[in-house]
Amino acid sequence: MRFAPARVRPALAAAAIAAPSVLALYAFLSAESGTRVSLVLAGSVLAVLAGWRSGLLARLVRTADERALVVALALAALGLIRAFHDDPFVLLLLSRALLVLVACLGLHVQLADAGVPNFAGAAFFGVGGYTAAVLGRGTLPHPAVLLASGAVAAAVGSLLLLPLLRTRGHYAALITIAFGLLFRTFFEVNESLGGPQGLKLGGFRVLGFDFNDDRQLLGVDYSGFAFYCLAALALTLLAVAFVRRLERSWLGVALDAVRLDETAAACFGISIGKWKIAAFTLGNALIGVAGGLSAMMVGFIAPNNFTFQESLVLVSILLLGGLGNLAGLAVASLIVVGLPEKLQTIQEYRYLLFSVLVVLVLVLRPAGLIRRAVRRPFGSVLP
Amino acid sequence: MSEAAPLLVCRDLTRHFGGLVALEGLDLELRKGEILGLIGPNGSGKTTFFNVLTGLYPPTRGEVLFAGESLTGVGPQAVYRAGITRTFQRSRLCLELSIFDNLAIGAHRLLDHGLWLNLLGRDALARQADATAAAARELLHVFDPPLAARLFEPTAGIPMIDRRRVEICRALMSHPRLLLLDEPSAGMTAEETAHLMDDILEVRRRFGDLTIVLIEHEMAVIARVTDRCLVLNYGRKLCQGTYAEVSADAEVRRAYLGLT
Amino acid sequence: MDLLAQYVMNGVMLGLMYALVAIGFTLFFGVLNVIQFAHGDVLTAGAFAGLASYAVVVQAGVASPLPQLVTVALAATLSMAVLGAVLGRVLVLPLKAAPALNVLLATLMGGTALRESIRLFYPGGSQPQRFPTLLPTSSWSLGRFALRLDNLLMLAAGAVLVVALSLVLQRTRLGLAIRAVAQDEETARTMGIDFRRVVLLTFAIGSALAAFAGVMNGLYYAEVNFGSGLLLGVIGFSAAVLGGLGSFSGALLGGFLFAALQTVGAVALPFASAYKDVFAFGAVILLMTWKPTGLIGEQLSERV
Repeated sequence: MRFAPARVRPALAAAAIAAPSVLALYAFLSAESGTRVSLVLAGSVLAVLAGWRSGLLARLVRTADERALVVALALAALGLIRAFHDDPFVLLLLSRALLVLVACLGLHVQLADAGVPNFAGAAFFGVGGYTAAVLGRGTLPHPAVLLASGAVAAAVGSLLLLPLLRTRGHYAALITIAFGLLFRTFFEVNESLGGPQGLKLGGFRVLGFDFNDDRQLLGVDYSGFAFYCLAALALTLLAVAFVRRLERSWLGVALDAVRLDETAAACFGISIGKWKIAAFTLGNALIGVAGGLSAMMVGFIAPNNFTFQESLVLVSILLLGGLGNLAGLAVASLIVVGLPEKLQTIQEYRYLLFSVLVVLVLVLRPAGLIRRAVRRPFGSVLP
Repeated sequence: MSEAAPLLVCRDLTRHFGGLVALEGLDLELRKGEILGLIGPNGSGKTTFFNVLTGLYPPTRGEVLFAGESLTGVGPQAVYRAGITRTFQRSRLCLELSIFDNLAIGAHRLLDHGLWLNLLGRDALARQADATAAAARELLHVFDPPLAARLFEPTAGIPMIDRRRVEICRALMSHPRLLLLDEPSAGMTAEETAHLMDDILEVRRRFGDLTIVLIEHEMAVIARVTDRCLVLNYGRKLCQGTYAEVSADAEVRRAYLGLT
Repeated sequence: MDLLAQYVMNGVMLGLMYALVAIGFTLFFGVLNVIQFAHGDVLTAGAFAGLASYAVVVQAGVASPLPQLVTVALAATLSMAVLGAVLGRVLVLPLKAAPALNVLLATLMGGTALRESIRLFYPGGSQPQRFPTLLPTSSWSLGRFALRLDNLLMLAAGAVLVVALSLVLQRTRLGLAIRAVAQDEETARTMGIDFRRVVLLTFAIGSALAAFAGVMNGLYYAEVNFGSGLLLGVIGFSAAVLGGLGSFSGALLGGFLFAALQTVGAVALPFASAYKDVFAFGAVILLMTWKPTGLIGEQLSERV
């Protein structure tokens, strides 16, 4: 770093973080055997620990230009899609991880920003999916269907708003827990929405272009999931940009005040109810859109996929990544979605594994694996 | 002395918590530009008065008039918008946030929270952030110039006395008409307290004779800084007047010192 | 009329089970201001512990149901008392100073770990396990309604437990210590009460109650399921909340009230009895909106 001119350093630092991450991801995704996957994982963990201990990682993170990093990772993602162009399993995995990340971003706005816990994340994901299933058959263009998925999820969430605002802490948690538990029951019993078998969906179609079809682009054959992957990537970038902007603005400051000290916030004119409603609704909308696209990608939706247990997995991702840490969130999403797929042996044990990990984090490192950084100033004059 | 109508009027202000009488029948008039001291033994209702005034608890009985409009029973947000801000007895800053963030919370009323500006109009947002930072630095500078240079550092990293200063500045960011200070010098040495009072008076001068109600246990401060004081005991007003008058009052001496 | 009697009997049995779980929640909340969300899974673990001890005891050649029943009950309650204390020591006490949400999350995840462990490590755990019939099966016919002796016995035993616990809380030194800690931890400590010991004992007692409810559940339905603890835990928590967290009588009231809501739901919507849970929880949410801290109310106080 010392040899590079100061102007280039932020971009270099970004590249220095992005390159090994993408390599590790590539190795992880292409590994065939369980041993290979474990080796890649172990190697990555060791590398991160080494970088941490030596202080190199901290220095890189401080210097790196955030925008350059996101661009680098986005380009890398495109490269990965190209690299795995005919591997539907990897593309599906990548898409799923990205869509789970978007859903977790919604949860992040609710819990990490506004302090509103949502134990029904999977349920709202399902609401988005069911909306896409019902509206997708009709004449509404599919991009609008996606927006509708978000809107319906937000609307369903608003049913919980009044009880959520009247209650505090664990009472409020109970409300989303109850909702998460009942969602599956409701859809299982409801024959008009497919009952326990669920509903089938056609693929995402825009302007006559069906995402499910395999296609050739620039001489390369792409499996159908590649386009879902692109769409998921686009959605992720939009969501990340949105959350980032939100946090680095007066809106983020107000949300922090609501989360950290409601009484003081009220004494300075902040309407607790208004901000919690906004965060909860926005978060659910994000979750719903992700759910809609996910359902169209997978081709069917059933109540069994949206259990309370799955909602807990989403919350686990937030906690494992470090509450308030977007980079950690991305890594955690990838691992939580990808690891059970890659290491089939742990597929059965995944709930046990994640719950134990979260308990360990909560008890041993309650501030999260990575401490939340103080907001960087968003004025034009840097200190 | 101004002949104008009083800035703050409280009539028969009462607050009960079940069987506990925290505040009973308080009558109070405050002129613009006055510094009123609020004194009394622990548990005499001073902080309760602040809490009722700032809308955290509705009064059981009585009314509050501020600059002619009724603030009886309104919520804390409305009280803030009317121009009343406060500090807390137990320091309530968001330690996780930077000093700037805490001060920005204090300036909530002055900031634009529209979606357009915050999400898309980044240049305009940056300009507003710069202006807010400049105002924050100016305020902090009065209390402690090195503190102003640490504007974007986490609040958790500064010592207690600086946190109290930040809390006072937070209450000043929105250009309030009435400032309520709840034991601002708690935990400070006599010298630090003297400096703090100097700074508060300086800020008050800059803000065009801001009206202040000050809860304090340090009688030296009360004597020096306040125009008038009011003594509470068991939620009731014992007496009011200048510090000299009040400290000579027999009932006050009995309440405080148990003397007859 | 007979159908009504059947519903009432069912409601009372469920109400007692819920109340036993709710009491645990309210006790934990009282002493530590925490929600121990693994409590429902402790109930299930208790039932499985009882089941395991049954298998052992049968292997050992004990054939008569009474000693079997005693073994099952003792094994369940004692093992869960220990587990409850361990959970309190490992999950809850260390997080005492952390924001309340952390404890909720830790215990939620802890409960998941417990539930998954049963599913994965108990032989055949992922399938519902048959629970032995250990109580006499005689019954009296009142018209078409059969009043079963085993239900009456369970009700009686449950009632005895509740009364005994109430007496312990009101009349013994331990009970006094528990109530003191629940009211004001700091003062209780300065009065010489061993805070940790009281907390762990409270956890042990609450968990033992849950284990009893678990055995009751197993005997009543003649089967146990690794996942039933989750719903029962949430129901128990809702019941405790309904009655007002921290209130013993509130927990009792809440338990029976929730069972009543479920029964009303089942009666009102006979075409979809699965909706009874939706109905009951919906009612809970509405009740909480009306009275955010419960019908009897929690003592919420925050120093400003």
